Amino acid sequence: MMPANVRGGQVISLVEVTGSIGGRVDIPKLADELGADVAVLLPILDAAEMLGLVRTEKGDVHLTEMGHRFQKTSKEKLKILKERVAAIEPFRTAVELASKGKQVTPSQVAEALAEMGLKWHYQPDINESLIRTLLIHWTIYAGLLRYDGKSGKFTRA
Amino acid sequence: MAEDQVQLASGTTIVTVDHVRLDYHKEREPLPVLADVSLTAARDELVAITGPSGCGKSTLLRIVAGLIKPTSGTVRVLDSEVKGPRDDISMVFQNFVLLPWRTAIENVLFGLGSRADLTEEERKAKAENALQITGLQGFESVYPGELSGGMKQRVGVARALATDPMVMLLDEPFSSLDDLTAERLRKEMYSLLINPQTSVQTVILVSHNVEEIIELADKVVVLSSRPAHVVGELKVDLPRPRNKKSDEFFEWVDRVYSLLS
Repeated sequence: MMPANVRGGQVISLVEVTGSIGGRVDIPKLADELGADVAVLLPILDAAEMLGLVRTEKGDVHLTEMGHRFQKTSKEKLKILKERVAAIEPFRTAVELASKGKQVTPSQVAEALAEMGLKWHYQPDINESLIRTLLIHWTIYAGLLRYDGKSGKFTRA
Repeated sequence: MAEDQVQLASGTTIVTVDHVRLDYHKEREPLPVLADVSLTAARDELVAITGPSGCGKSTLLRIVAGLIKPTSGTVRVLDSEVKGPRDDISMVFQNFVLLPWRTAIENVLFGLGSRADLTEEERKAKAENALQITGLQGFESVYPGELSGGMKQRVGVARALATDPMVMLLDEPFSSLDDLTAERLRKEMYSLLINPQTSVQTVILVSHNVEEIIELADKVVVLSSRPAHVVGELKVDLPRPRNKKSDEFFEWVDRVYSLLS
């Protein structure tokens, strides 16, 4: 599950900064380099690890081979993001539902995920809003889905 | 870039702020805000204005934009005196100033409202192009409330770019963003604005963040406390991209601080 408050740009910054200081750094130093609090950094690290871009071990962050490729070119960034994001929830279910029907709403995604026991918040309206925000921030940039703010619906890109 | 824009050599003076003075009036007594400020901004130059908090740097930027009339002195873009807001000067604000009930593209189109010379299709094409330049392709139909702070500011920049301005004014554009987002946007801002894909020929940035200024500026203008006057001007000749960890970078930061203190 992608942490609710992490955005793609934050993961990109983390990978770029880690790469610029040799591809291996300890967490407090990385927080300092990014000008971010460690508490803010940890969910971003989780997301980067989930995407296969970094590995954390004994308080150190290492760029993976994919992380090194990701850091180098914008073309690779989008390609890797598209592949990896599609494998993580709530994106996987949203893409699947949008492929089956012509369009999907965050509420339908939330419902399908709740059946699998996946929720980002216990209150349904907040859960749906967090899923909408995650879908907007990750799937449009990764080129997986399109979004129409007026109808609140996502379609396949 | 605007088709009718004049091609000017790099280094040509675009903006001239000439002995600008501004007084507010408090119970009929004049309260001087800007004492006597003169500066220039040239083609392909990013000029940063800094000074103590409350010294009037944002006020000066609003005078350059034509939003406030100075008590005396003039602002010129090339040979034309700025007497009010105009299409060849755009501004990006600290707090984005987006209309929450309009989507990203509708906010950019709103900025194009004054361009009576354009058809609806031309406006849409310009708005789409500006969103693409700022990395927001695909986010056209998203409302500001659904965007992150960094993306909202990108919409602000796209709105400012869409009118094909010659002069871009940035009023503390990164200070409402979290550090991580600000860092990323700062890295992109220079090449995003001073770029043949856009019509922008000169940029004036107001900021109180000295490291940010040394990262971005070609020239730094330091103002005194109120009533403000120019206490120093520095040409920053560090190569780009600038290494914020280098000794040279810190030497430049120190130079600005010594003028501020």
